[in-house]
Amino acid sequence: MEYFAGVSEALRLTFVQIMIISILSVGIFVVGMYINLKKWGMGSTGYGQAPSKSILTFPKTLMYQMNEHAHVHNQSVLKTFVFDILFQRRILQRSPVRWFMHFTIFVGWMTLFAMSGAMFFVEMTHMIGEKLGYAESLPWFMNPEVFRELLSTPNDIFSYILLVGIIIAIYRRLFVAKTRESTIAYDSILLIGLTVITVTGFIADGIRNNTIWNGVINFDWTIPMTNIALSLHYGDPIFPFTYAPPAALFHVIISLLFCIAYIPFSKYIHIIAIPLALLANKGGE
Amino acid sequence: MAKREPSINTENFTAVQLMELDSCSRCGECVNWCPTYDASGKNPGLAPRDKILRWKEFMNKSYGLRARLFGPKEISAEEIEQFKNDVYGCTTCGMCATVCESAINTVELWESMRANLVKRGNGPYGKQGMFLKLIGEYKNPYMADNKDRTNWFPKDIKVEDKAEVLYFGGCTAELRQRKLALATARVLNKLGIKFTMLGEDEICCGSALVRTGQYFINDTAKINAQKNIDNIEAKGAKIVLYACAGCYRASLIDWPRLTGKELPFKVVHITEFLQDLIKKGEIKWEKSIDKKVTYHDPCHLGRHVGVFEPPRAVLEAIPGIEFVEMERIKENQRCCGAGGGVKAGLPDLALGVASTRVEDALATNADILSSACPFCKRNLSDGRDAIGAKELEVEDVIVLVAEAMGIDLSDTPAE
Repeated sequence: MEYFAGVSEALRLTFVQIMIISILSVGIFVVGMYINLKKWGMGSTGYGQAPSKSILTFPKTLMYQMNEHAHVHNQSVLKTFVFDILFQRRILQRSPVRWFMHFTIFVGWMTLFAMSGAMFFVEMTHMIGEKLGYAESLPWFMNPEVFRELLSTPNDIFSYILLVGIIIAIYRRLFVAKTRESTIAYDSILLIGLTVITVTGFIADGIRNNTIWNGVINFDWTIPMTNIALSLHYGDPIFPFTYAPPAALFHVIISLLFCIAYIPFSKYIHIIAIPLALLANKGGE
Repeated sequence: MAKREPSINTENFTAVQLMELDSCSRCGECVNWCPTYDASGKNPGLAPRDKILRWKEFMNKSYGLRARLFGPKEISAEEIEQFKNDVYGCTTCGMCATVCESAINTVELWESMRANLVKRGNGPYGKQGMFLKLIGEYKNPYMADNKDRTNWFPKDIKVEDKAEVLYFGGCTAELRQRKLALATARVLNKLGIKFTMLGEDEICCGSALVRTGQYFINDTAKINAQKNIDNIEAKGAKIVLYACAGCYRASLIDWPRLTGKELPFKVVHITEFLQDLIKKGEIKWEKSIDKKVTYHDPCHLGRHVGVFEPPRAVLEAIPGIEFVEMERIKENQRCCGAGGGVKAGLPDLALGVASTRVEDALATNADILSSACPFCKRNLSDGRDAIGAKELEVEDVIVLVAEAMGIDLSDTPAE
């Protein structure tokens, strides 16, 4: 059995292709984070001290600052984590619309990411199980095809949640004068990347499921419009599944490159840096 | 070929601060609230978000991936000079930190940038460069004889040689806004509080040096902080009272950091002290102040350390005062414009910010705009004069307290 996302033999992406891209992405991410940690570590461990230039400087300073008494917002790490990192109350306090936008992107993004991770885990466990002969003894939901179906509905829900956030973000960047005027390439790349990933995700999923994209994506201009209309009407794909594997492959590759590899080198770094800043400065309202 | 040296370094930044540069999501909330950006006619260079982005770019040009692979990219002297001008166009009021969705501690970030630029030879800005020399030579930034701190006190003022309570007057109140120092001393006397003062042994708290990034030069700020602490200890003080928000903040936050030690005494603002006495019913009011009063939160007392209620409680306890709030108060208060060395370095900018704050007060129809910091009082008075709002009185809370306690301050000597 070829593995990836539990799709059938006809729709498979090669396991090797995906693994290579995944490892490459994680590798680039690790190198990028190493460079960032080195860069952050060029600071000192405390106020008025000389730069220590060690890769451990940042974690040491972070831990020290988290344990230091603060004159304002002296709250616990747990409170910061729940209210400020997960619930993002600092954004809510400033702008409910921006909070809704950011929160939907955050929830959609993180949940889809977590579900992708879970799917990968199930596939790997099952694949290893097949090699070692314990696959049959795994619980019923640990079958990749079953697990994929289990994730299908939440996958749709969180994809739409993410899409709502992205649409608001695009609207603000295009139609809210103040936001539009302050937008620079640094901001645009983030949003363009996010949009491309989400749209390709919908397209790949649609083609694979042969539902909403039936006959539309496989549009062939040489086919008479009447045939296309009939095809759409009867749900009979003209070229079923032709583009499903490359569409999924494109989505996965671009997701891995944007969502993992590109993080340390772009505005995506805020995904990591903001929670750390909130922890260091004890969040607060 | 040898790689080029980076144009900037990371001196005076902590590792967390360097990380904070990457945590800016550019939401623009800081820009919406920044008082100097507003007063400058929306000069984009003064926008906190822009300053973070520029230093982040400087860091990436010097230490990012490209710099590691092909060597650092040069940052022109003009670019750094422009950056310096912009980073000094900030009162370090901390409004940007309050509204920052990423909780970046911007005040300390600006101070680190300033210290870095001073070390690099770019900072400080304009007349701020005189602070170090003046404080080193005169122990105060006003070029005044340090003996003049308290030797002008009228004979009726009783200052103990040693006491558990010490009043740290501060340079501005003792040497410029003397009515405030006199009011504090007479209020304490009338309340029967035995207190002592440092007199000519008092040295500038160092706030001006820390805020303008000059604290590390010759360790002046650290040495002065330690001398003040030692002198306070020698007076046997357990509680140190401050009527100046700048000195209060410097003592509470900067002194322990500079010296690396916990303070051996309690730091209390005079309004906190009075609030406690009011609760105990130990203050007897003798006069009614039948006026409408509003209160301006000094940044160093409010946002920086969270003392919002005590000054309000004191004002509300004074008979006859009708207390009204301005639109922007407490955490969201608008700065008076004097802090961060702006009053000395960029007086026009300071005046612009102060004028806006005075307009906030005028909108409440208040008769008195009060504050709890002599430096705020000075700049707000200048702002009032600049817009010709002569009907508005600018006065410190402690002076109003003295007045309501029937204390005469008419013998306050001229500066």
